[in-house]
Amino acid sequence: MTVKPFQLLCPRELSDALATLEKHSGNIRVLAGGTDLLPSMRQRLFEPEYVLDIRQLREIQGIRLTEQGIEIGAFTTLHAIENSDELKRSYPLLVEAAKTVASPVIRNMATIGGNVCLDTRCLWYNQSLSWRKSCGFCIKKDGNICHVAPGGTKCWAAFSADTPPALLCLQAEIEIRNASSSRRVTLEKFYTGEGDNYRRLQPDELVTHIFLPRGSALYGGAYRKLRIRGSIDYPLAAVAVALKRKNGDFEDLRIAITAVNPAPLLVAGVQSLVNRAMTRERMAEEIAELAARTAKPLTTSALTPEYRREIIRVFTKRAVLEAAAD
Amino acid sequence: MTKQLVALRVNRRLHELAIESSWLLLDTLREQLQLTGSKRGCDDSSCGACTVLVDGIPMLACTLLAASCEGREITTIEGVTEHGALAAIQKAYGDWGGAQCGFCTPGFIMTVKHLLATTPKPSEEKIREALSSNLCRCTGYSQMYEAIKAAVEAEQKGLAGDEKNAPSRT
Repeated sequence: MTVKPFQLLCPRELSDALATLEKHSGNIRVLAGGTDLLPSMRQRLFEPEYVLDIRQLREIQGIRLTEQGIEIGAFTTLHAIENSDELKRSYPLLVEAAKTVASPVIRNMATIGGNVCLDTRCLWYNQSLSWRKSCGFCIKKDGNICHVAPGGTKCWAAFSADTPPALLCLQAEIEIRNASSSRRVTLEKFYTGEGDNYRRLQPDELVTHIFLPRGSALYGGAYRKLRIRGSIDYPLAAVAVALKRKNGDFEDLRIAITAVNPAPLLVAGVQSLVNRAMTRERMAEEIAELAARTAKPLTTSALTPEYRREIIRVFTKRAVLEAAAD
Repeated sequence: MTKQLVALRVNRRLHELAIESSWLLLDTLREQLQLTGSKRGCDDSSCGACTVLVDGIPMLACTLLAASCEGREITTIEGVTEHGALAAIQKAYGDWGGAQCGFCTPGFIMTVKHLLATTPKPSEEKIREALSSNLCRCTGYSQMYEAIKAAVEAEQKGLAGDEKNAPSRT
C-alpha cells in the first residue's frame, strides 16, 4: 500500500506552523510521531493535500517543571515520558500508562500529543480502501451506514489511547493554539463522545502542551489494560485508578476507562462510595460496578462487548485494591 | 506531484535522492538505495521487521517519511557489520540459530543493537522488554535470548568473532 501524494511542510517555528495550518485549513493533517497517521493514510482514511511535520518545533518538546505543576510539550515522545525522573516521582500513573502503549520501538516515535489526539478505532474503519469499499463505507468515513449499530446514525468507534485515562484522573489540561489565539481546556472537555467527530479541535488548531496540576502530584495509582498480545496492540478495554490517601483512609479516588466508549471517561460517583462503613473488598466491587455501567462497548474490536465490559469490572476492582495496597 | 532533492545519510554515506514527499523511508531504502535488508512485514506498524536506527534510536521505516529523515543518521542492517566482519550480535544469531526463516532477523538485530548500545549488560527482563517490539512468526525467541546472552558475553570477554565461543555443533 502506498500513500497518496501530498506536499510535506516542515516549519521550524511554531508561529509558522500555525500560519500554515490556517492557510491550508481543512486540507492538511498534522504529522507528529506518525504512528497513527501514516498507517491510516496508507489505508486512505486521510488523503490531505498537505502534511505538516511538527518534528522541528522545539517549543512543543520536553518536560518542564513549573510553579503550577508540570508542562509537557505535545511533541514529547512516550519514551521520554516513561523515562522522566520527575514524572516517575510525581505522576507515576501517567508513566505506568505510557509504558503500556504499543511497543518500545513505537514509543520512540509516538508522542503524548498524538496519543491524546489518537483517532477513534473500529473494525469497520481501520481497514484498507478496498476492504471498506466491498463491505460498504460507514458513517466515519465516506458512507452513511453503521455496521456496528445497524440503523443507527451515531458513530461508535472506540477511543483507544492509553495515556488519556491517566491524564483524566490527574485532571490534566491541554493548551490548544491557532495563529491568533490560545485556549486551555480540561481534557474532559476535549472529547465529544462521538466516534466520528471525537475531539473539539478546529482544523486550524494544534494541541501544543499538556499540563499536570500540582494538586494531582504524588497520587498513587494503577493502570490495567486488556489486549490480545502482550505488546504492540491497542487496548480493547482499560482502566486507570488514581488514589490519594490520608491516615490510611481514601482521601480522593478517581477512575477513568478507555477503549470501551467513543471517548475516555471519568467514572462518576466514585467518591461517594469511599470510606463508607464496608470492607475494602466490598467497596472495590461497588466501584467496579459503577465503572462497568459507564462502559458501553460495542462490536468495534476483536473481543466481544460482553467480555470487554466484564473486564472493566474485574480490572477496576483489581486496580482499586492494588492502589490501596501500595 | 513533483519530486524534491533530499539528502539522506544512510550507513555513514550521504545520498542525494530525488523523491516524493509521500515516500516512506522503507520504500526509499529498498527501492532507491537497493538496501533490501529492511523488510516489509505487516505494513501497518505492528511487526517490527522494518526496524532501522535513526540517530541511533530504533524506529519503524514503514512509519517514517523519507523526507522527514533529512539530516538524521540512518543505520540499516547493511550498516551493522564492523570493519567488514560480522558484528558480535550477527555472529551470535548465526551460531545459536537465532534466525529461522530469517525474515524478521534484520529488524530484531537493529532492536538488539540499540539494546546492547544503551545497556551493555541487560537483564533477562530487559532483553524480553526490548524484543517485545518485534514479531517472529517462526516463534524462535528462545534461541534469540541465547544468542543475545552469548553476544553480551563475547563483547565482555573481547571474544567477538571467536570460534571457541560458539555452541558445539555435534
